[in-house]
Amino acid sequence: MSASSSQALEYLELLPGSVHKKLYDQPSTALAIFRCMLPHLAKTIVMAMLYMTGPFPANDLDAWFRSDAKREKDKAISVLERLHIIMLRQETSNQISYQLTKRFAQSLRQALTGGGTHRSFGVPSNQPDAKRVDKAFLDEYARKQWENILFYMVGSTVGLADSNALGRDVGEGTKALLKAGDFVRIAHGRVHITRTGFEFVLQEVNAQVWSLLIVYLKHASQLNMSETDVLSFLFMLGSLELGQDYTTTTLSPTQLQMLEDLSAFGIVYRSSKEASTFYPTRLATTLTSDSVSLSTSEPITNSLSSAGHRAGKGYIIIETNYRLYAYTSSLLQIAVLSLFTKLTTRFPNLVSGKLTKESITRAVRLGISSSQILSYLSAHAHPQMQKNSPVLPPTVMDQIRLWEYEGERVETHNGFLMKDFGSESEFRELLEYAESLGVLVWKNEEKRVFFVDRVEQISLYLNNKKRTQDR
Amino acid sequence: MVKAVKGVLVKCDASIKAMLVDIDNRHHNEFIIEDLGEEHVLVKESKIAELKQRLQDTMKERLKEPESSDSEA
Repeated sequence: MSASSSQALEYLELLPGSVHKKLYDQPSTALAIFRCMLPHLAKTIVMAMLYMTGPFPANDLDAWFRSDAKREKDKAISVLERLHIIMLRQETSNQISYQLTKRFAQSLRQALTGGGTHRSFGVPSNQPDAKRVDKAFLDEYARKQWENILFYMVGSTVGLADSNALGRDVGEGTKALLKAGDFVRIAHGRVHITRTGFEFVLQEVNAQVWSLLIVYLKHASQLNMSETDVLSFLFMLGSLELGQDYTTTTLSPTQLQMLEDLSAFGIVYRSSKEASTFYPTRLATTLTSDSVSLSTSEPITNSLSSAGHRAGKGYIIIETNYRLYAYTSSLLQIAVLSLFTKLTTRFPNLVSGKLTKESITRAVRLGISSSQILSYLSAHAHPQMQKNSPVLPPTVMDQIRLWEYEGERVETHNGFLMKDFGSESEFRELLEYAESLGVLVWKNEEKRVFFVDRVEQISLYLNNKKRTQDR
Repeated sequence: MVKAVKGVLVKCDASIKAMLVDIDNRHHNEFIIEDLGEEHVLVKESKIAELKQRLQDTMKERLKEPESSDSEA
């Protein structure tokens, strides 16, 4: 499971079961979720159960695991339960069993072995397109559209250009969406980037696409679009092939409306608004792929995010005296750098500047964390720097962290405090359960309290326990 | 009976915690839900941004920063 799809997973988990059920009607959705949302252990469990005819006793499942792997097993099961992929069934008072949700199992089987006329993997256009476009064109188109969006967010904050000039290339719908997602705020006619916006800009492209699409999903109902329709369309896009044109005739009205928005993002390409075909771009086809396959085959991150520096070449050099040289002429990269660097000189192919306490604390105040800055710098470090280990000079790394720490003295977590336990054993039991779910943030054993970042499963667990006790 | 209380867990130094408690006391205890020992407090979710801002202000007041030596470019 890649980092970029984990936020998509978080979003999916919070959807109600009825939405999940509808989603799983589409084989492409079932396959996409299986492929990119599930941890590997969960995949193994699903695969093992896929062709079972009846429910599978929990005791038998436990027998497959070594006793020291209980935590991993619980985690995998809990993800599957939250996504409503498996159901827990109470057979008798002390025997429970698992079963794959019928629709999910059906759709996944269909996706894997084929058959049926579900058309959920897109229908290639059978008419030859006079204005056929090639992959290079699609990559260029996607890169341009996406960079425009990023530059719109960053550009005017750092004062490189005024927002009117920047906004010309970005559609009104996209602007509204960025505002709705709290990525930018507009004050006195100027666009200002927010904390969430910064996080967004520093992410890798795949994660950016998901973040924007999740905002889009959350606002889908306001645009009279059904969330399920939108989601299954996105998952379908992930299974399409780059360079192939697909027909729009099989799409629902919601999906046609979406197509327009998505072409504004650069996720799909259409030669005109009335065209009867569309092309997915690389942004679309990598939506549901694993990060591993992404980095080995065709790195979208590099081909898209560093304009003019294809093939993943880094461009930043940092010296131990905090001076920074960046071989770039891309305005977007300069804008991103100037978020946390004091840039002083610009040459045709190079900008230079310095990391100062002032520039770092300003960035921290705006919501960028030191680790985000460091990971950006090391990910885009010049090949000469990449030879070093660690990539960045340790003094610089430490100083950036210290500067952040000075500005930000508290660490916060949202969530729930569990307290008022009746007995030590009750406390221990629930604590262990929270730990195995991976939701535990902090504990204090003397006070018998602990803090978790999500509570749904724990309350479910408590309710189940109460019910068995009442019996 | 076990209870779950919604809020924000704040982790900080003992010195910073003292300041947080002080701010809370001066504002009718509207920030902190529960004191969880030396380095942790539980704060109301709706109030955390305001509390952070007040902490910044207090620190600026109390700690005099040495002038930064960034002048040489």
